[in-house]
Amino acid sequence: MSDEMICVGAISGSYGIVGETRVKSFCADPYDIENYNPLTTQDGTRSFTLALIRPMKNGFVARIAEVETKEQADALKGTQLFARRDQLPTLPTDEFYYSDLTGLAVYDTGGAELGRVKSVQNHGAGDLLEVQLPGQSATVLVPFTQAVVPTVDLDAGRIVADPPEGLF
Amino acid sequence: MSRSVWKGPFVDSYVLKKAEAARESGRNEVIKIWSRRSTILPQFVGLTFGVYNGHKHIPVNVSEEMIGQKFGEYSPTRTYYGHAADKKAKRK
Repeated sequence: MSDEMICVGAISGSYGIVGETRVKSFCADPYDIENYNPLTTQDGTRSFTLALIRPMKNGFVARIAEVETKEQADALKGTQLFARRDQLPTLPTDEFYYSDLTGLAVYDTGGAELGRVKSVQNHGAGDLLEVQLPGQSATVLVPFTQAVVPTVDLDAGRIVADPPEGLF
Repeated sequence: MSRSVWKGPFVDSYVLKKAEAARESGRNEVIKIWSRRSTILPQFVGLTFGVYNGHKHIPVNVSEEMIGQKFGEYSPTRTYYGHAADKKAKRK
């Protein structure tokens, strides 16, 4: 899990003429992107040390230590910024990163496979696991509560769910 | 202009009936509704509604903070995944 790379932002272009960049943050708190330095590209070949200067529309103006000119900043347009999974802070019990839950197999209490977690969503009424049914494109949303999802075993890569009637 | 207070909150009558039946049965089930315009009432707290978004029913666990809002507010009609990044899910 620690080798896993998580996309936390992207460089959307240069800003001004002195080598500053526009950076989009995908973090829950956008300012947290700075805490995950050094950020890398997905393949890990390039590393970036980011310093946020000020917020702007749709992101931040940032100075990247490895970028000194506007041309270098322009060349990075579209680059996604990744952090290692082990750079994220440890969470208390019953809190999970979306990226940890995505991809886990979901079983019912009888041991039958219900599907795999495609995504985690929150529309304001609690977190929902979007479960993709095996062999189908259809998905089902399952409330992420103690009652409905009693077991989350990240090490074994499985979730045990007791979905309410009428959900599957 | 906001709704006149003397009218009381609007709720489709079938939603009230379904909620009452679910509460009496005591079964753990999703109450499928199509009425996005209905107001969330205090007697709905603790129930799970499946609110239709034009495509499927989105589970909505009703809590106290949601009273007075409309069901449709918790069932978006457009899909946007975004990036997981460091977002956290809390199991309540």
